[in-house]
Amino acid sequence: MASLARQTPLFRRSCLSASRSPMQVMAFHASAKKQILPPLPQVIHGTTNDAVEVPKTHATEGSYHWTFERIISAGLVPLTLAPFAAGSLNPTMDAILCSALILHSHIGFQAMVIDYFPQRRVPKTRAGLMWLLRGFTLATAVGLYEFETNDVGITEALKRIWKA
Amino acid sequence: MAALRSTSRLVASSRPLFRPAFASRSYATVGEPAPSEQPKMKTFHIYRWNPDEPAEKPKMQSYTLDLKKTGPMMLDALIRIKNEMDPTLTFRRSCREGICGSCAMNIDGVNTLACLCRIPTDTAKESRIYPLPHTYVVKDLVPDLTYFYKQYKSIKPYLQRDTPSEDGLEYRQSQEDRKKLDGLYECILCACCSTSCPSYWWNSEEYLGPAILLQSYRWLADSRDEKTAERKAALDNSMSVYRCHTILNCSRTCPKGLNPARAIAEIKKMLTSH
Amino acid sequence: MNSASPVAVAMGRNMQIRPATSAANLADPTKILPQQRLNRPVAPHLTIYRPQVTWVLSSLNRITGFALSGSLYLFASAYLVAPLFGWHLESASLAAAFGALPLIAKVLIKSTVALPFTFHSLNGIRHLMWDLGRGLTNQQVIKTGWTVVGLSVVSALAIAFM
Repeated sequence: MASLARQTPLFRRSCLSASRSPMQVMAFHASAKKQILPPLPQVIHGTTNDAVEVPKTHATEGSYHWTFERIISAGLVPLTLAPFAAGSLNPTMDAILCSALILHSHIGFQAMVIDYFPQRRVPKTRAGLMWLLRGFTLATAVGLYEFETNDVGITEALKRIWKA
Repeated sequence: MAALRSTSRLVASSRPLFRPAFASRSYATVGEPAPSEQPKMKTFHIYRWNPDEPAEKPKMQSYTLDLKKTGPMMLDALIRIKNEMDPTLTFRRSCREGICGSCAMNIDGVNTLACLCRIPTDTAKESRIYPLPHTYVVKDLVPDLTYFYKQYKSIKPYLQRDTPSEDGLEYRQSQEDRKKLDGLYECILCACCSTSCPSYWWNSEEYLGPAILLQSYRWLADSRDEKTAERKAALDNSMSVYRCHTILNCSRTCPKGLNPARAIAEIKKMLTSH
Repeated sequence: MNSASPVAVAMGRNMQIRPATSAANLADPTKILPQQRLNRPVAPHLTIYRPQVTWVLSSLNRITGFALSGSLYLFASAYLVAPLFGWHLESASLAAAFGALPLIAKVLIKSTVALPFTFHSLNGIRHLMWDLGRGLTNQQVIKTGWTVVGLSVVSALAIAFM
């Protein structure tokens, strides 16, 4: 039995090399060549039986933040529909729409920074981007205030450009 | 029983003797392969990486199998490759019936259990098998789930209560309360959903991911558990739950047909009420 | 008897090779696993995952949101600093510049602006519905997803020809 088994490899190998081999090896190229933030080498603190650290409760970044975000988003639904129904908005409604848009945008950008620039991984880039975002949001708020007070307002302006 | 079988085999083998001559030709074709029965060759590209050669990059290796000689499931193909073509191919498997969660992997772009995934019979299309996405690879198709289990442990997946039951026997719950756990307790922690979630790919260190959150909700929804407030407090931060952006890959991919996305939505609703 | 399968034995592939790479660390066996972990590659993810309405629409939601909010931020900030650089970003001059464009360019620009807007708005409603815990089954997600795609294209065209 054993002698038979030992003899067969040669026979089988010659068979395989004669026909097309059923196994082929190809270089792996599914991952992008240049990753922006490639994952770090794996480091695990403690054993499998040690639980991951539970973060501190922070409702203003958690549930309050989420609820606020939903209220703004839900509020944007009628505010977006209104100009289509009315043609354009009066200055007060226009200002409310602008504020909601700025808050919605700020929260959206914030989520992107949190998602793609992890605090633990790139704390400085994260902080820098957060401050940049705050500055940009402030500039946008002031800019839109100027536009609302000195010009015709966002909805009316869009309408005029659209009909131009 | 054995006697019964041997007689039935006898009867079966003796049947052709009494067959009329015109039927014998069709019988003869059963023994030999019909000329139309071509082998159904299908190619499988499988992710390979060997920890004993850490300097070498992961690569795709192709294996071609005859589907006529292979069982219907992807796991059958993998086992056949390992047995007959390449014993170095490494993967986890145990129950082969979708209850252990060992053979979770990415097959043709979707996370699933190899034992529950049929081999697509279209031989023109080649199958591609990868380990669970964005996991650290131990070898070939074996991912390291240590951190996943550590996260599971962090949500205290066990009944917590201080008050004893009224009769000192068991903690009872109504049928309606028990019903709330359906669709939650069936989770086998195969990690298919968590590793299908782009948000978990980018933030697996801090975001708990769909599988762990489904388990978390399993204990939040349990009428017998008394630490609901503590459980909620542990989740109420920017990372643990709120990295979920309702992408819904989790529910789409769950090989057990569960709905982690709904569990997370319920958690978010619970957290809004203080 | 040999526990490897007969075919593996026959092909001479039943031998497991254990290179002595870990021998150097044997002084401290607790270091072997952490050392091995450092070498591990990360399994491919975004590039190999099958495109599905779930995550494709989700990423489109983020991309369109980024584009819309980004344009709002850029325009408002530019309007703020326009007097310093002598730019003309008043609605009257913008409308005049846009009105001077040929009709095809107008429709093209309008639809490229309108499509992200309609998609992000309609998909946002889908998200709000999910946040109420509704419409989260696979069939509903697929159905509402394609509905949003269809509706956003139609409404974007309607807005472009307004």
